[in-house]
Amino acid sequence: MLKKSLLVSAATVAAISLATSAWAAFPEKDITMIVPWAAGGGTDTLARILVKNAQKHIGVNVNVLNKTGGSGSIGMNEVARARPDGYTVGVLTFDLARYRLSGLAPLSYRDFGLIMLLNQNPGAITVRADSQFQTLKDLIEYGKANPGVLTAGHTGAGGAWHLGLVTVATQAGAKLNYVPFDGAAPARTALLGGHVTIAATGIDEVQEFYKDKKVRILSVNDLKRHPNFPDVPTLAEAGYPLEAPILDWRGLGAPKGVPADRMKVLADGFKKCFEDPEFQEAAKARGLILTWADSAGFEKFLIGMEKTMEGALKAVDLYKPVQ
Amino acid sequence: MDFDFAVFVNAWATVLSNPWLIVFLFIGVTAGISVGCLPGLTATMGCALLIPFTFGRPPLEGLFMLMGVFAGGIYGGSISSILIRTPGTPAAAATLLDGYPMAQRGQAGKAIGVATVASFVGGTIGALIMTFLSPSIASFGLRFGPAEFFALALFGMSMIIAVSGVSILKGIIAALIGLLVTTIGLDPLSGLPRFTFGSQNLLGGPTFIPVLIGLFGIGQVLRNVEKMEIVHEIQTAVGKILPSLKEMWQVKLTLFKSAVIGTFVGAIPGTGCDIAAFASYVEAKRASKTPEKFGTGHIEGVAASEAGNNACVGGAMIPMLTLGIPGDAVTAVLLGALMVHNYQPGPIFFRENLDIVYPLFAGMILAQSVLLVVGLSFARFFAKLLTFDKRIFTAIIFLLCIIGAYSMQFNSFDVFLALGVGIFAYFLEYYRYPLSPILLAFILGPIAEQNLRRALQISHGDPFTFIDPINHPISLAFVIISILALASMYLRMRKTRLEELKRERDEA
Repeated sequence: MLKKSLLVSAATVAAISLATSAWAAFPEKDITMIVPWAAGGGTDTLARILVKNAQKHIGVNVNVLNKTGGSGSIGMNEVARARPDGYTVGVLTFDLARYRLSGLAPLSYRDFGLIMLLNQNPGAITVRADSQFQTLKDLIEYGKANPGVLTAGHTGAGGAWHLGLVTVATQAGAKLNYVPFDGAAPARTALLGGHVTIAATGIDEVQEFYKDKKVRILSVNDLKRHPNFPDVPTLAEAGYPLEAPILDWRGLGAPKGVPADRMKVLADGFKKCFEDPEFQEAAKARGLILTWADSAGFEKFLIGMEKTMEGALKAVDLYKPVQ
Repeated sequence: MDFDFAVFVNAWATVLSNPWLIVFLFIGVTAGISVGCLPGLTATMGCALLIPFTFGRPPLEGLFMLMGVFAGGIYGGSISSILIRTPGTPAAAATLLDGYPMAQRGQAGKAIGVATVASFVGGTIGALIMTFLSPSIASFGLRFGPAEFFALALFGMSMIIAVSGVSILKGIIAALIGLLVTTIGLDPLSGLPRFTFGSQNLLGGPTFIPVLIGLFGIGQVLRNVEKMEIVHEIQTAVGKILPSLKEMWQVKLTLFKSAVIGTFVGAIPGTGCDIAAFASYVEAKRASKTPEKFGTGHIEGVAASEAGNNACVGGAMIPMLTLGIPGDAVTAVLLGALMVHNYQPGPIFFRENLDIVYPLFAGMILAQSVLLVVGLSFARFFAKLLTFDKRIFTAIIFLLCIIGAYSMQFNSFDVFLALGVGIFAYFLEYYRYPLSPILLAFILGPIAEQNLRRALQISHGDPFTFIDPINHPISLAFVIISILALASMYLRMRKTRLEELKRERDEA
């Protein structure tokens, strides 16, 4: 009896290992994930918490490698040009949607084998708690009556939050004085210090000051409310509906030309990483909204994003597509 | 929020009764010194790499290790500044001005010793200020808007004369070269590329560390090679490591002043320890009775910049803990680490998580003592490196430079950048152009340019916004101080020049 069951289990083991060697020779070594932004930033954090349990879900470790520079284009270009064997993947971020359109680099979603969408974060229009503007309507009306007087700090020209605010304001016919800062932290600081009237950042980036009642968020630039900010109205609720508000997003991609079976291994493996409760918990704590979409859904989202970006970039004179 | 003394005493009890915390602090400081002294590996990177190892540990242990890396990394940068004239971290850039000449005189050991003690004193004062004044300084940092930042950078620029050496004209030319280089890359205000010649590698602008490595490290390697065949090898002695008590006592005022300057500069979000060190250095030189000694291997110069940059560590923690605004890149990583442990630094965190905040204060103070112990025991070993055969040593430095340039972004373009800058720097020095103004311009250029434009945009083009006494008193103060500093340095320089001329005439 014992012998028999041993035999059976030995056979099973042999069968499994045969099957593994025939079908799942991939992956047989660690996978490298290129992050195009600096260590410690939001994109980097997302990547690192995602691959924390990769060994369990994909069978090998995924090593995060930060290749920064060129507004993220260096790292993403590296992914696009990597050997298409499935051992190099990368995090794609918002800026990919603007490289080609604003003439920075001939790089777009078409250069990648898209794996999945990971996260979408909406922007926010924020003023100080002691500001005279109670609602987005107050602000826009004032901006219409006094063109160019209100100063709006944002996180970088052509970035998601700059374009997000421009789209809202231009559509409503208000003219603001846009002041670019080097990222969300300084823009936020300038708002708190009273150096600018409005701050356009990601909504998660003003979470602490919102909780401490130091700032008032006039709207969340999304179609639905944000769970961490239940009393903040959406653009439509505030009276300025937009069909496709500009969202910050992050997803995974591989070089074009990775064999389909390997792409499937990657897609399945990373999906398991994504569904890991530990990852979900960690992302939630940071106010990162997780939005999963498969390869096809990710592509559809990016096609729409490119269209929205085209209009927004034109509005700020940054539309210079690479020929 | 008032300072709660009982809680603070309790925090010390927690910290001292947990040997693991001390162990992690030791590991952090040692790791920090190791990454700090290698050009290209910075405290930021050290923290980022070590964070994953702290995931499974209680939050305080991980945070203690990271604070150790921070403090150790900033200090460690001074070692390579002194030994090979290449700052291991940007924060140690001002240290090479006097540290390297000291090493050349055979006082490498003493220079490292002074740097260690100054780091300890500066770091401790910074940590104490952070402990007791955090809430009040936090609101001070918020008052820095674009106009204030520009004025601060302007004040920094007035230091160009101080680091120019013999010829002010050549100093200004060098500074302008530096300013010009900082305009390369994606213009952060308009989002348009400038002077990139279509290269994606230049979109982000020339990366700081590779340029630093080229300017000082590779430039020095080339000079070493040039001299190798001509000059007979001078055997450098390690010398005494510990500076005498008398020597440190003589610079006590400088140490204290530098520490206060360093803490405040650190507390302003958006500045960094590199600026803190330069500000301290120049203030020390300005206040000195013998300013001409600075730049020639003066103990006070090393003491000022090292006390300044280590005090900055405590200062940079202030806005991070109280406002959730990281003062610089390292604190941004620390912020990330706190968030990994599900703490969200900010005003609420500071009020409600005193069980974490106060032990952090205690840890920061403790880290400085650990730094002193580890630093002094390493110093002799490091200083001995200089007694190596220079031919081998130069080759090793060259290798370190290449690795350092590459490891910043793992981009081979940076290696060529460093080499190109190195060759350029070699010729600049050959024609006696000072390199420090380039460095200063490189650090301050982006801050000055961006904030000038930002402030003017906010003021609708009115240049008097910088000297508006009602809305921008801080800015006005900086502008006045800059003008006074320029005038006093110019007058003093003219006086020495006239005296020299007179002496020459008398001799003739």
